[in-house]
Amino acid sequence: MPKTYEEIEDEVIRGGKGFSSFKRMVADMLKQTRAFQLLVLSIIVTAITSTVAFYAIGLVADQITARNIGLLIVYAMVFLGMYVIQFFSNWLRTTTSTFLSQNTLKNLRDDAFASLQKVPVSFFSKVKTGYLISRISNDGESLSEFLTFQLPSVLSGVATLVISAGFMLYLAPTLALYSFIVIPILFVFTFSIQSRVRRNYLRTRRAIARITGNLAEDIGAIRAIKSFNIEDKVSGNFRKLNAENYEANMVASRLSSTYSAIIRIIEALGISIVLFEGGLETLHGVVSLGILVSFVFYVQGFFNPVIQLSQTYNAYQSAMVGLTRIYGIIDADKEALPLKPVQLDSFEDSISFRNVSFSYGEGYALNRVNLEIRKGQKIGIVGHTGAGKTTISNLLLKFYHPNDGTIQIDGKNLEEIQTRSYRRLIAPVLQDPFMFRGTVLDNIRFSDPDATREKVLECVERFGLGAIFKRMPDGIDTDIGEMGRNLSEGQRQAISILRAFILNPEILVLDEPTSQIDPQSEKAIINALEKFLRDKTLILITHRFSLIQLVDNVIVLDHGSIVEEGDVPTLLEGSGKFSQLYEYQRQDYELM
Amino acid sequence: MKINFKKALSVFSPLVFALKYLKREKKITALVLAVGGFTSAFTLLISIFIGDAVNRVLRSGLSGLQYYVYLIILVSALASVSQFIVSYGSQYLSQRYVYELREDVFRHMVSKKFRFFENETSGNLLSRCTMDIEATRNFVLNLLSQLIPTILMIIIAFYFLLELNPFYSLFFLVVIPVLIYLGMTFQRKQRVHWKIIRDDYGVMNERLQENITGQRVVRGFLGEEREISRFKDTTDTYFQEYLTVAKLRGVYNNLMPLLISVAATAVILYGGYSSIIAVASVGSLVAAVNIFNTMISPVSILGRLIVWSENARAAIDRINEITTGKDEEVFDAAVKKEVRPPVAASAITFSRGPRLILNGMSFVIGKGEFVAITGSTGSGKSTLISMLPRFYDPDSGEISFDGIRYDGFSLPEIRGKIGVVPQEISILSGTLRENIGFGNGEYRDEEIVEAARTAHICDFIDSLPDRFETIVGERGITLSGGQKQRIAIARAVLPRPELLIFDDATSSVDAETELGIFRSIREKLSGTSVIIISLRETGLMFADRVLKVEDGKLKEVTEVRKELLTITADSEKKGGGWNAEDL
Repeated sequence: MPKTYEEIEDEVIRGGKGFSSFKRMVADMLKQTRAFQLLVLSIIVTAITSTVAFYAIGLVADQITARNIGLLIVYAMVFLGMYVIQFFSNWLRTTTSTFLSQNTLKNLRDDAFASLQKVPVSFFSKVKTGYLISRISNDGESLSEFLTFQLPSVLSGVATLVISAGFMLYLAPTLALYSFIVIPILFVFTFSIQSRVRRNYLRTRRAIARITGNLAEDIGAIRAIKSFNIEDKVSGNFRKLNAENYEANMVASRLSSTYSAIIRIIEALGISIVLFEGGLETLHGVVSLGILVSFVFYVQGFFNPVIQLSQTYNAYQSAMVGLTRIYGIIDADKEALPLKPVQLDSFEDSISFRNVSFSYGEGYALNRVNLEIRKGQKIGIVGHTGAGKTTISNLLLKFYHPNDGTIQIDGKNLEEIQTRSYRRLIAPVLQDPFMFRGTVLDNIRFSDPDATREKVLECVERFGLGAIFKRMPDGIDTDIGEMGRNLSEGQRQAISILRAFILNPEILVLDEPTSQIDPQSEKAIINALEKFLRDKTLILITHRFSLIQLVDNVIVLDHGSIVEEGDVPTLLEGSGKFSQLYEYQRQDYELM
Repeated sequence: MKINFKKALSVFSPLVFALKYLKREKKITALVLAVGGFTSAFTLLISIFIGDAVNRVLRSGLSGLQYYVYLIILVSALASVSQFIVSYGSQYLSQRYVYELREDVFRHMVSKKFRFFENETSGNLLSRCTMDIEATRNFVLNLLSQLIPTILMIIIAFYFLLELNPFYSLFFLVVIPVLIYLGMTFQRKQRVHWKIIRDDYGVMNERLQENITGQRVVRGFLGEEREISRFKDTTDTYFQEYLTVAKLRGVYNNLMPLLISVAATAVILYGGYSSIIAVASVGSLVAAVNIFNTMISPVSILGRLIVWSENARAAIDRINEITTGKDEEVFDAAVKKEVRPPVAASAITFSRGPRLILNGMSFVIGKGEFVAITGSTGSGKSTLISMLPRFYDPDSGEISFDGIRYDGFSLPEIRGKIGVVPQEISILSGTLRENIGFGNGEYRDEEIVEAARTAHICDFIDSLPDRFETIVGERGITLSGGQKQRIAIARAVLPRPELLIFDDATSSVDAETELGIFRSIREKLSGTSVIIISLRETGLMFADRVLKVEDGKLKEVTEVRKELLTITADSEKKGGGWNAEDL
């Protein structure tokens, strides 16, 4: 069962996994040496210039008491000069930190995507598509937010705090120590409430996630809601969630408002201490007036970084949860590759299943199946839904691997054969014809990007599918919309068929290829196939009697085992499963 | 720089919108606004007192120094209290507002007619109900807690500076509008790029979706490397755009503190010079620089807030499309009368845009009758049956139940007695029991089991460890198409409706089970009239009567088998596939 966001978040935060992910990411970032050096440089320059600028204000005050206009102008210019430098260093910080963080993000996303191309196909039946998409895009986004906007300014603030504190100690150690009294108070206070902040934060997130989830469901089910007239019932549910969200937010804002109010008092305390002690020291001549003035500015500057730091804590947590999950995808176990892959350049002899068993989890989908398909043979696989037909195609196409027994191609174990070389020989027409965004042409050419337009058109005509595409506004150049939304099922199947046929493969695996295609077009395809298939090997999975004429041998599956085997006429004569299955349809077919 | 006052004032228009939902909170709104002014004043007073304290130090008056230190603590305490009121109060108001707004939007949304949902993608609706609402809340919060206090702060700062030295206020006066202007320009410039980034983000999502759902095709045809490089191109444009924004941010965000420091330098030079000449106080200079320093962050946010207001206004426009009350129906009228078959339609017509779908159709379906409707794809079968529960109303002609015209009934009266199993099934996350007991009313366990039995899904449910309490949906088990259809059938038969409509509702169920379901409906709901839409032989053979939709009219069918074959052939000739929405 997939975990909820909160469960994973909790797990990551409690288990301290977040920090190890953070370290791993930083290690990757450090590899971009130059950008990293520039970032550190810019942060240090900003910290130094801020410190010097505030010191310059103090020096100005001293020049006024000393009545030295010349130096006054010099220090005023130093003050301005520091800000001019800071403009450039901050500019550098913004651009390099964005470069670093976005580059890291890009690499993470690319790696996650590449990983998905290499995990076993079974991975996708365990992990939902929505989960993967939201990890790579949403989680990436919260990480991006944190890395691009929050982390650099916090780092810069903290660096400024440290450098100005050091400078203060150098200028006037006693006064500096007095000034620092508020820092521990500030930190202790800020971090003492963090666990409550985190709880509140999780609660508000959960509350809004529930609202969004509920809305998404209700919008999706709006027709059902209206047809059962349960608008009031769902409104009531929504109101409950809405009220929970309100409560959660108010609790959180009580804490955050109190926090910022108390911070102000601590800030005032800090300033007062400096003024008082600094005033005394000035009066006694220990420090100059200028030092006092500068210190006031320094102390005022302590607060922003600490407040920012406390606010960043939440962002850090959620970014690390996201990061950990992205790493989860990147680190997912890849499809095991054979140690010494055997290259397969052509198919010469036979495909054989030796005692093949397979299970998707519970019960056997295939149970000790033995099967021999000779080169050039055309074989039909029939049976009820769930009998194991598609499993045979899944194993043959190497999407899944047998739990037991072996599949051999020309006597070589399929597991040892290099997948890429094998897939050049075998082409599938899958039950669910998947379409990509783009035109009909793009989709047909998906299997062979080098195929020319002419070749595709020729192929379309050869299989008698021209009529199907001619109806479309721009023929084969028609944009099919998101996932082929603008296509009928029949059109999708036609594309899926062409996609496989254009490759002219040696072995064809067809899984219900024409179930949604109208009878005329189906007939045309069948006619063309008869010629096309002459020297090819065909494995055809079907319910439909109309296609059975293409095969010479039939295998009937039931509950994962072969129950009948033989050529079509013989099987039809008998009174076994096959003749039962096809009795009805045969009548229809003869009627035509 | 031209200032259009009307346009400038429209920054506050989201507040006007929000106030509609805050009618009961008038006092608190006024309080938050007023206290916002005090907070700004107190904050700036601290700078003034720092200056005064410095003056005291210069005059060697320790007692005076003490006095100002205490004043600073006092004023800070006041600032802290008023800050609390402003931030908590504005949170409170924004949460009240968003609570009421959500309720309102939700209620309007569920009141919309079916027609409304045709032109809206669910993603679009969802983002209005979540992101747009949240955007306006955020703005209301920022308006109350930042924008208005900052504007007041500017005014008060100007006054304080004027008091300290008229020249200081002059510098201030020059620099503030420039800052606001810069802030706004920056936001406008970067907005274009953010839009591109959002678009790129959308493309990235699509690529992911496509790649993951199409994995078998990708693998089967060795498309992995091509897919990886295509994805890299997408993430790369995204990356480049972020860099462009970073360059803009780098300039504008840092130009603001620079400008303030230019003004502060002017203050230092002028103030320092005049202090030396006139032996005036250093304190006022320190206070003025301190005020400039305090103003940096609120003022740089100001420009951003003003532009955010535009986003909030756009969000409000989109929300308004839902809350205007157009295309709505009354779903909560009282139930007084009983809807009962026979159901009769006479000469109903219906068109969708230029396309005439129903062209004067008439039929009568008697009590307890089992009628099948067939016809090629796109012929209007679904449109026809969606007239009966009034999902749509015919353009002309009328429908009646037991001789009473349908507009003599309220919607709850009609929909309470008509059970529909649509083509697309919605399973909500929750237990199977909740999904079957979807409608209004409390059902006993036996009734739920009975409905499941009628729908031939009971054996499956019994095979699950948690049986009817099994969780389905996002966090639970996934149901196959046929299982979903049977759950939806159980859902529809549970309230024992007078009329049951199956819109191709057994397409994913095998013929044997399909027949079983029809039989048990016949048996257990003998008084219920049933209409099924079907292209399959089983259904058509089972029905008492078969009607065929052809050219917007209905005709009685006698030879079912032959008819079925012509229908498939028809679909081919007409090219029913392309964009044919079977509604």
